[in-house]
Amino acid sequence: MKLALSVFKNCISTVFDSSDQLLILETEDANGTKRTTVRIDATDPAGHAARLRDQGVAVLICGAISRPMQMAIASLGIAVYPFIRGTVEEVLAAYQSNRLGQAVFSLPGCHGRGNGGNSRGRGMRCRWRQTGGHER
Amino acid sequence: MKIQRIPKPLPFDPESGQNIILDSIADGVFTVDQDWRITSFNRAAQEITRVSREEAVGQMCKDVLKADICEKNCCLRMTMKTGKPIINKKVNIIDADGRKLPISISTALLRDGKGKLLGAVETFRDISVEEDLRKTIQAKYSFEDIISKNHQMLRLFDILPDIASSSSTVLIEGESGTGKELVARAIHNLSPRKRHPFVAVNCSALPDALLESELFGYKAGAFTDAKKDKPGRFRAAENGTLFLDEIGEITPAMQVKLLRVLQEKTYEPLGATRSVEHNVRIIAATNKNLEDLVRQNRFREDLFYRINVFKIHLPPLRERMEDIPLLIGHFIGRFNILQKKNIEGVSDEAMALLMAHRYPGNIRELANLIERAFILCKEGRIEKKHLPDFLFAANASPDGKIAASFRDLEADYLQNALRRNNGNLPQTARQLGIHRSTLYRKLKALKLSPND
Repeated sequence: MKLALSVFKNCISTVFDSSDQLLILETEDANGTKRTTVRIDATDPAGHAARLRDQGVAVLICGAISRPMQMAIASLGIAVYPFIRGTVEEVLAAYQSNRLGQAVFSLPGCHGRGNGGNSRGRGMRCRWRQTGGHER
Repeated sequence: MKIQRIPKPLPFDPESGQNIILDSIADGVFTVDQDWRITSFNRAAQEITRVSREEAVGQMCKDVLKADICEKNCCLRMTMKTGKPIINKKVNIIDADGRKLPISISTALLRDGKGKLLGAVETFRDISVEEDLRKTIQAKYSFEDIISKNHQMLRLFDILPDIASSSSTVLIEGESGTGKELVARAIHNLSPRKRHPFVAVNCSALPDALLESELFGYKAGAFTDAKKDKPGRFRAAENGTLFLDEIGEITPAMQVKLLRVLQEKTYEPLGATRSVEHNVRIIAATNKNLEDLVRQNRFREDLFYRINVFKIHLPPLRERMEDIPLLIGHFIGRFNILQKKNIEGVSDEAMALLMAHRYPGNIRELANLIERAFILCKEGRIEKKHLPDFLFAANASPDGKIAASFRDLEADYLQNALRRNNGNLPQTARQLGIHRSTLYRKLKALKLSPND
């Protein structure tokens, strides 16, 4: 399975719509994970979504994302964890231990506000506005 | 984790009454210290970003504003570096609800009475109104202006860039009011031809002779009063896109001429002795079923195949009921801006009525219903009383179409509920107020799949 993080320097990029770098992690075996960085040249939702599809990404972790962009990506069956912040390593560790729902990884203002998608639990809607793909 | 609120002395003391002054300003205002952490955040800033003051103060400004320039072209950073203010720079932000908003920002340094640098101040203004009007006037619609979470539409969004990048002829089929021209403009604006003109012609609006001169132009002397050359729409759309709306309405004679233009990539202005080559992409649209017209010998088969290189079918609104709440929200936002009102939304009862209607006029009809409700609704939410009487006629549909059986009605209802919830069964069951197992049983009995 390929996991993509929208990154800027060593952090999750604040706005996915304008970000141009993806860190893609692919589990090779029990011990190793292959990391590659790819550029996104597109600026439109379909272009971003197509780039993720071409890379075979199954899960995207990103910062603020506009609704059309999120819908375009979710329509390809890619699970989106939106409005996330933090350093790459902290976010990865949180994802692997199922702690991405903690408030510290949410961008300010998201708490308790859903904009659709599959909400997961009271008071955690925005952080868990995960859409598309399969729930973990 | 490094992200945490760090208590710092604020340049503005919230208790001193300065917040009251800031809150009285219509523009969003926030101040930052020299570490880019927000130290004050006014009422308008909360409304525009949808982030509360309590959540914003102490946070990095980029995490709160979520603007497309924050990481690489931060205006505050520029002002701190150069000491020069930035005035009215247009940027896009994403609010906490995922809405992309155009705003105009200005920045300046913030110093105390002794001239000591405290940080910087940023003021910003929501310019959605101007942008919305500009888009309406210039018709610069993009892919993002098509609002839908319907599975058929999402599939279309997926392939739209590929369609746009080719130069093939496209046929858009859909009932009146489904947004055919919007899609045509989005294709043009996504295509390599976007810097060239998009020209729309309604083929049913003009009689044959006029349509021919309108499309191909004429030479001086071609007919009485043709005193000088007049270029046609093909010439006007050179290197761009020509949108031929209601193509199913053109006469057999015009069909022959159009076929020749498409086949040979040349046309002859009226009265001309030579053909003119063109480089125009054709997007045709119709609210009829062209295949049926071909079968009835009312539309030339060869022209149909020439146009039908790539066909896009836009579903009527009654087949994408899950989009109704989204579209209502969009129209309310739009009319709030245009009419300077603050309508909050639609009551549950009014929404149920709007969801039960079959919309023969499609999205245009829904927009008109909301516009009408805006006339009667002064504030708060749109209620049942603000909607027209015909919506109340019990289970009647204006097109007279009645479900064949209770089974069909139930299947339609369940399919719409599933679409509204993206096929999520537990969520759909909760919304319908039935147990999950009941929903599974009903779907099985009706031979429906969550992804239908």
